[in-house]
Amino acid sequence: MLLNPSARDPAARSRLIAALTVPVVLWPLFRAAEVEPGALFDPDNLKVIGHFLAAFLPPESGAEFLGYLARATLETLAIATAGMVLAFLLAVPLAYLATGAGREQPTLNPLTRSLLTVLRGIPELVWALLFVRVFGLGPAAGVLALGLTYGGMLAKVYAEILESVDAAPARVLRHNGAGRPLAMLYGLLPLASKELASYTVYRWECAIRASVVMGFVGAGGLGQLMDQAMKMLNGGEAATILLTFMLLVFSADGLSGWLRRSLDRPPANRPSPFGGRSAFFGLALLAGAVASFKYRDIDLASLWRLEAVNSIGTFVADFFPPDLSADWLDKVARGVWETLAISVVGTLLAAVAGMLLALPRRWMPFTVLLNTLRSVPELVWATMTVLAVGLGPFAGALALALHTAGVLGRLYAEALANAPPAAGCALRLAGAPGSPAFCYGTLPGAAPQLVAYTLYRWEMNIRMAAILGFVGAGGLGQLLYVELSLFHQARASTVIVAMLLLSIAVDQASAWLRRKMH
Amino acid sequence: MAFRLNGVGLAYANGFDALKGITLQAAQGERIALIGPSGAGKTSLLSVLGTAWAPTVGTAEILDAGDRPRSAAALARLRARIGTIHQSPPIPGRQRAVTAVLAGRLGRWPAWKSLASLIYPLDIPGAGAALDRVDLADKLFARCDQLSGGQLQRVGIARVLYQQPDLILADEPVSALDPALALATIRLLIADAEARGATLVASLHAVDLAIGNFSRIVGVKAGRIAFDLPAGEVGIPLLHELYAGEGGELPVQAHEPHFLSQAAANDAATRAACC
Amino acid sequence: MKFSTWRRLALKGALACVAAAAVSASCLVSADEAVLRVSAIPDEAPTELQRKFAPLGKYLAAQTGMKVVFTPVSDYAAVVEALATKKIDLAWLGGFTFVQAKVRTKGTAIPIVQREEDARFTSKFITADPGIKSLADLKGKTFAFGAPSSTSGSLMPRFFLQQAGLDPEKDFKRIAYSGAHDATAAFVAAGKAEAGVLNASVWDKLVETGKVDTDKLHVFATTPPYFDYNWTVRGDLDPVLVRKLTDAFLKLDPAKPEDMEILKLQRAGRFIPTRKENYEGIEKAARSAGLLK
Repeated sequence: MLLNPSARDPAARSRLIAALTVPVVLWPLFRAAEVEPGALFDPDNLKVIGHFLAAFLPPESGAEFLGYLARATLETLAIATAGMVLAFLLAVPLAYLATGAGREQPTLNPLTRSLLTVLRGIPELVWALLFVRVFGLGPAAGVLALGLTYGGMLAKVYAEILESVDAAPARVLRHNGAGRPLAMLYGLLPLASKELASYTVYRWECAIRASVVMGFVGAGGLGQLMDQAMKMLNGGEAATILLTFMLLVFSADGLSGWLRRSLDRPPANRPSPFGGRSAFFGLALLAGAVASFKYRDIDLASLWRLEAVNSIGTFVADFFPPDLSADWLDKVARGVWETLAISVVGTLLAAVAGMLLALPRRWMPFTVLLNTLRSVPELVWATMTVLAVGLGPFAGALALALHTAGVLGRLYAEALANAPPAAGCALRLAGAPGSPAFCYGTLPGAAPQLVAYTLYRWEMNIRMAAILGFVGAGGLGQLLYVELSLFHQARASTVIVAMLLLSIAVDQASAWLRRKMH
Repeated sequence: MAFRLNGVGLAYANGFDALKGITLQAAQGERIALIGPSGAGKTSLLSVLGTAWAPTVGTAEILDAGDRPRSAAALARLRARIGTIHQSPPIPGRQRAVTAVLAGRLGRWPAWKSLASLIYPLDIPGAGAALDRVDLADKLFARCDQLSGGQLQRVGIARVLYQQPDLILADEPVSALDPALALATIRLLIADAEARGATLVASLHAVDLAIGNFSRIVGVKAGRIAFDLPAGEVGIPLLHELYAGEGGELPVQAHEPHFLSQAAANDAATRAACC
Repeated sequence: MKFSTWRRLALKGALACVAAAAVSASCLVSADEAVLRVSAIPDEAPTELQRKFAPLGKYLAAQTGMKVVFTPVSDYAAVVEALATKKIDLAWLGGFTFVQAKVRTKGTAIPIVQREEDARFTSKFITADPGIKSLADLKGKTFAFGAPSSTSGSLMPRFFLQQAGLDPEKDFKRIAYSGAHDATAAFVAAGKAEAGVLNASVWDKLVETGKVDTDKLHVFATTPPYFDYNWTVRGDLDPVLVRKLTDAFLKLDPAKPEDMEILKLQRAGRFIPTRKENYEGIEKAARSAGLLK
């Protein structure tokens, strides 16, 4: 066969177009996020953050403060656990309704699906802010907020897991006359249970981080202490609280790892599947849940008294109709753009940093750094970045980037470790130096996974970016917080709708990009 | 001299002795076929020649580099002169054929060129010519996950042709090809080695393919060299002795058996070797 | 293995249901003992508020014979809403939050007492920038308010800025809400905002306790006086109890050492009666500043 010597790469054109489009799209977003790397090195800012960090030592260890801290930590744990129980109770029926698994005709329930979208689309902190108003002060608001958002997330993922396992066993059972619930119990759950349990445990871990920040809107817990310590620039207290955060997150991490590993153990050879360990675990779970609800009286039943239902009714009614006046919409639109910019810039910075951190992961200090970045919630990072670069969206983008870099670094490292090694090895055996061998051999194998992780994080970050304004880090959050403070419910309602639409739009864009990559 | 193995033994971490007392040398430009039953140690022997494994016992001098190059840079320089065709081509599915072939020269290109080539392939004619030699010119810009197993195997061969190494190591290079194509490919490798004065060592499952095309045949059994003879002196009884325990029939091209599990084990060995 | 994991999951599910049942059962048994539920707007750190309230709470418990429970919060509006939905009985409110509470309760919330100094309250504009000497110099600067619904940290300063011809939304480069008065001082001292405004009483406290560096921070403007903080009860509270509470506050005597202790923590000379009409000025200011519709 004759080769055309003037052959040109047919992909060059589309690559060129992409290379030109990306900056054109990103430039305005970077502008909107007010990215100013110079601010990081501004001597005034350096002095402020330097003083602040210097005040970290020694960490506050007064008995009175430690007392507050212990109570707040318990409260945080209680909110997370009770919230997860609620989320689980909510997610099981919703997932059953939403999933196409085990159905004769694969109809997806559009009503349930959209309910799930709404539950997930509004950040838990916004739910918390609303519930603090409706249901009064205290942790019940945080529990409900977590329960709803995480219920939505769990239900969606449960539904997807059930759809992704082999449908044949359940189908056969249905043909043999079993009803849908039984067919799912016997035909689908055995295949999916490990993944379901594993995801639930992972979410509990996330719930602990989320309940930490509930305090920022008045739902108690560690967040409230952190918020105050940061506002008063009390470095010693902030250091102690940060250490507590990390301890909490690391132990949750360890516990969930242990739980997931124990799911892999083969069953004992006896007729009953429930042995001593299961019983112990079950009792611990029960005790934890009851204790969580008991602690500081998380009294969900009181929410359903007539008077409470009434007050919820009037509260909700205030939100309709949303304020659609032109100048308010204009303000919200600017907030939406800024929020989008924060999420994109934050995620991109995190992707770059995460990649740099993932490469040399085998070294101990990097693991510690990744875990530290990850264990501090975005909102807490934001209180610090605001100090480092001043109020505004860049602080928000940086805060997102810091937390997300920790998360992505870990996921990237896993994806790279799981990528087929043969290709990279072969190139190294042909004398290729490290980085080209990595780019030609390892990276292409891991790329789809890396891109997917990054896009998933972007979907989470848009929800986070929407609330960073609560601490002055730009975006829609400040608008929402101010309007809710002033009881301008109609305006707040516009902002919430905008947040919801924005998160839906980002979900769609991310799904489209993922399809494009394949 | 292309290589000199002196009393080479290779023990894997799990205690398995893959090679025992191998002494073997070849002059530059020789073409050697390794044959033997599966698990005999052919892949291990190639791994030692390819510097993937350092022998646990004995010395291995490859391409005049002496025993064990002193620095990482020296090792990389040596490796750039060795081209390996793997049993299952180690090419990422999402990579395009052109990039996969160009990757053959990463050992010689400066880093900037390697990285720039990811954005726009810097030697399209070179890659095209290499692919043309394995009859895949039309797949130049195709993604590797759209190719069949045999086509992918030939992309792997094109990569080594493009690399132009002094020592070509081929581990079952034609196991995924149909008989006619396999023969043509073996001849192509031999012609390429001959034209450039390169040394070729290929392990082959099909005895007829080995004897019909290579001048020197090395039989490997249980980690040792069973015989090392010119092709003309390898007789049927010798082969039967080599393959004793394989069911009495000699593996030939016409019904090439495919040992998936063996390939997987070899993969694991390669992985352990360099990562 | 698969079946075993599923069984474990079933166990967990079953236990979760039992737990939920147990919890809802326990919720039904709530004792009806006489409790006075109190909260305060978080214009200072909630932990600080809690500490300040402890002796006052003991005093009120002794005076009313009820159990006094204080709930700290970090959201102004939550206190207003809690009063409106009868989740609390007595609240320490700012002038503007009282007006909000009045609107939310359709005029039934009753202010009972205020501190003597709340009748003539002021806010201080502070900056660390020697170039800022008057309100007019604030154009194009970043500016920190307290909480959005704070009277002295947001509403009244806005109103006076407006009267001085400045619109914070248009004339400032960026406005931030620090959330609390001491935070505003910290923001400005740290350079997070070029200028800010906070209530005079907190500023005095910060200066007295040396928490701010007066060489660096200076006050460049002070608002005219207005009515601020008060203690408010919800309108449908038993009038006898309202009377008891009012008297308890008014009885606090600075001459008695144990009362002085309480008053000092509240930063009050003494408490005086107050009435709704005192806050009409604030309501007008709020409407004119666009914070109340």
